Amino acid sequence: MSSLSHYVLRRVGLALPTLFGVTLVIFLMVRLIPGDPARIIAGVQASDEEVTRIRRELGVDRPIAVQYARFVGRMLRGDLGLSAVTRAPVLEEIGLRLRPTGLLALSSTVVATAVGLAAGIVSATRQYSVLDYLVMTVALCGVSIPVFWLGIMLMLVFSVHLHWLPAGGYGGAAHFVLPTLTLAAFSIAIIARMTRSSLLETFNQDYVRTARAKGVRRPAVILRHALKNALIPIITVVGLQFGVLLGGAILTETTFAWPGMGRLLVNAITARDYPVIQGVVLTFAVVFTVVNLAVDLLYAYVDPRIHYG
Amino acid sequence: MTTTSRIGILLALLALVLSTQHQPAGAQAAPRQLRIAVGIDADTLDPISQTTTTVINMVDYIYEPLVDAEYVERPGEIAPKLATRWQISRDGLQYTFTLRSGVTFHDGTPLNAAAVKFSLERLLDPRNRVPNRHLYAAIQSVDVVNDTTVRLTLRQPSPLLLANLGGNTAAILSPAAVQRAGDRFGVAPAGAGTGPYMFKEWRRGEGITVERNPRYWGTRPTFEEVLFRVVPDAGTRLTQLLAGDVHMAMLPPAPDVRNLRRNERVRVVEAATDRTIFLVLNNQWGPFRDVRVRQAMNYAINKKAILASVLFDLGTVAVSPCPPMMFGGVPVAADGWPYNPIRAKQLLAEAGYPDGFEVNFFTPTGRYIQDFQFAQAIASQLRNVGVRANVSTMDWPSYVAMILTPPDRTRIQMIVLGWAWPVLDCDGALYGQFHSSSHPPTGLGPAYYKNDRVDDLLVRGRNEVDPERRKAIYREAQQLIWNDAPWVFLWTQKWYVATVRNLEGVRILPIEKWDTSKATWRP
Repeated sequence: MSSLSHYVLRRVGLALPTLFGVTLVIFLMVRLIPGDPARIIAGVQASDEEVTRIRRELGVDRPIAVQYARFVGRMLRGDLGLSAVTRAPVLEEIGLRLRPTGLLALSSTVVATAVGLAAGIVSATRQYSVLDYLVMTVALCGVSIPVFWLGIMLMLVFSVHLHWLPAGGYGGAAHFVLPTLTLAAFSIAIIARMTRSSLLETFNQDYVRTARAKGVRRPAVILRHALKNALIPIITVVGLQFGVLLGGAILTETTFAWPGMGRLLVNAITARDYPVIQGVVLTFAVVFTVVNLAVDLLYAYVDPRIHYG
Repeated sequence: MTTTSRIGILLALLALVLSTQHQPAGAQAAPRQLRIAVGIDADTLDPISQTTTTVINMVDYIYEPLVDAEYVERPGEIAPKLATRWQISRDGLQYTFTLRSGVTFHDGTPLNAAAVKFSLERLLDPRNRVPNRHLYAAIQSVDVVNDTTVRLTLRQPSPLLLANLGGNTAAILSPAAVQRAGDRFGVAPAGAGTGPYMFKEWRRGEGITVERNPRYWGTRPTFEEVLFRVVPDAGTRLTQLLAGDVHMAMLPPAPDVRNLRRNERVRVVEAATDRTIFLVLNNQWGPFRDVRVRQAMNYAINKKAILASVLFDLGTVAVSPCPPMMFGGVPVAADGWPYNPIRAKQLLAEAGYPDGFEVNFFTPTGRYIQDFQFAQAIASQLRNVGVRANVSTMDWPSYVAMILTPPDRTRIQMIVLGWAWPVLDCDGALYGQFHSSSHPPTGLGPAYYKNDRVDDLLVRGRNEVDPERRKAIYREAQQLIWNDAPWVFLWTQKWYVATVRNLEGVRILPIEKWDTSKATWRP
């Protein structure tokens, strides 16, 4: 077996206890916040008997240890239980929402990486120029603007006044433009700043000076010599941003009426729908772990000096 | 990336953007599909499991009950729906319904007495999740007399049964369709109703589509389809309306309503509801044990000013514990509890609090119109009479958990709460808040109010069949409660939607629903 697949196996092996820990933490946490799921589902005007009945139906009348054992037992069989609210399988609920969120996170990552890299390169190569200041000021705004505000503003301009794009809702390519921009804004800024500082660092390295001295053209120096060596921290940030995008999706999805995982989670929390909360958080944890693993593997691809063994 | 390919991508994006360009709302012919932005997705479309008014509002397009509680023209009156006539036996224990003939369910099977028996027994079956089953507890049995006649036998007389049967929790369903759907009935209830629209599709988190029922027995609605699009953010609902993506938006942000009323492309449809907003005073806590203190609290707050400046006139000052639009409701004080801070200070001094006192004050956020905002306004007004209220907030499930704590452990001193009932009758407005059996944790009356005479009246009102005597009972109860001041009586909340100008005839029902059944389109 190659050392790489060995490494992947070991990482997956390590991820399992992590995910297990995540389930335990989330299981306990949702039960520590006040609020009785049966009462929330039944509505405030329901009779006590009905609330008791629903509590029994949901199994939340049992001791927490028993509830957890049941949850883990089911999970090991690939069953995340039924939603306390809709009584549809949690896997089905997540399945319906995974695609919209995944596509949005993906399109935002692509846009954020492309725009962020470009802006960072422009900024770094023209350090202390007007353009550099401009890019970094915009980036500062990107980091500071709250997602919901930016979303509403974009809708006001492009939907209400210009009538170019739909104001939220899930559908064809046009529906992706505004949420993608909104969601990517923060990451664009972070990636641009990281690219700039990482590039500037490599500009002072000997090999860059050597490359320039032997007459390599400027764009080639920047892209082939400097950028390639500056990529490691940038990849790390992009990987982390993917997680941020999943989290940011909660606000973006609410603002844009996007039928994704973020909103599923928020609704589940307000309804104290324990099985759905657990399922969504577990899914997020799995995605995050996989992305982290992918980033680690990318390091080796980008930098041949890195070996896994 | 080369410059040309970059420009190419930009052009492609631009083309994409322009290809989906929307016409501004306005100069349009009647749309095939009426699009309504709603704030929440459904939890289930099974009528018996309903708990949330907005979800019931959507379910109402598909299903119909035996009788119709009329809400707009003659509030409180019961009109025919799937039953054309009914007779009540003299002892009030037998209800005989004659069914409308020629009605078919969406799956093509005929409406008959067996379907009614099936539906009501399904509602009563303890194996099914029916949060509001207690509304039908009086029913002992449902019997088929013949194909078009059904008889209900009651355990005890129930003056409210007919009104309770008028909601879609008691919808009549096609037994064949329910059995065919099995466990999936809650998410895909195809063919089961008799209403003007048939279930078409539910894309969870996105929206629900219903299509016009070609065999509908009643008036044909204008629009071929209705889409309820789930848009959780109020600002986005409004944006979609202004962008012409939807034709109607429920509850746009309250602070925008004033401008919307002046916007000539938009119509704000608003109406009073039976939802009373009030401050619960814990009648068993410190200063609030004294009725003079509770009255002083009522005198200290300027309801009208808060309504105008914080609620944008989306409410009407409360004039009674039971809103006058409900059966038995009478205004106890024509203009509500008077605003009189001097009198408030006097009463506080008489009760032994000349320098006021400190009180913890909780409010939900986003549950009632401008709740957190008006709580702060109230706190500042209370400060003028020396009462120092510390405002804090929490999420709704935690709030409900707080309310349901027994009196010896409760954190409640003063909280914001709203109370409404889907049947316009004082029993619903009063019993669950003021009868002493409704004290938490068994009930939801966190004022812990107890008045033996009121207890007695509220029980009698539940069992008295004669309407005039019931009215007299509730008149006395409202008077007693008002003067005992277990709450600070604030206002009854309005309910509102915004629609595009072309959409006419949308109505607001006083039970916090919209009604588009009479809506038309004017190009």
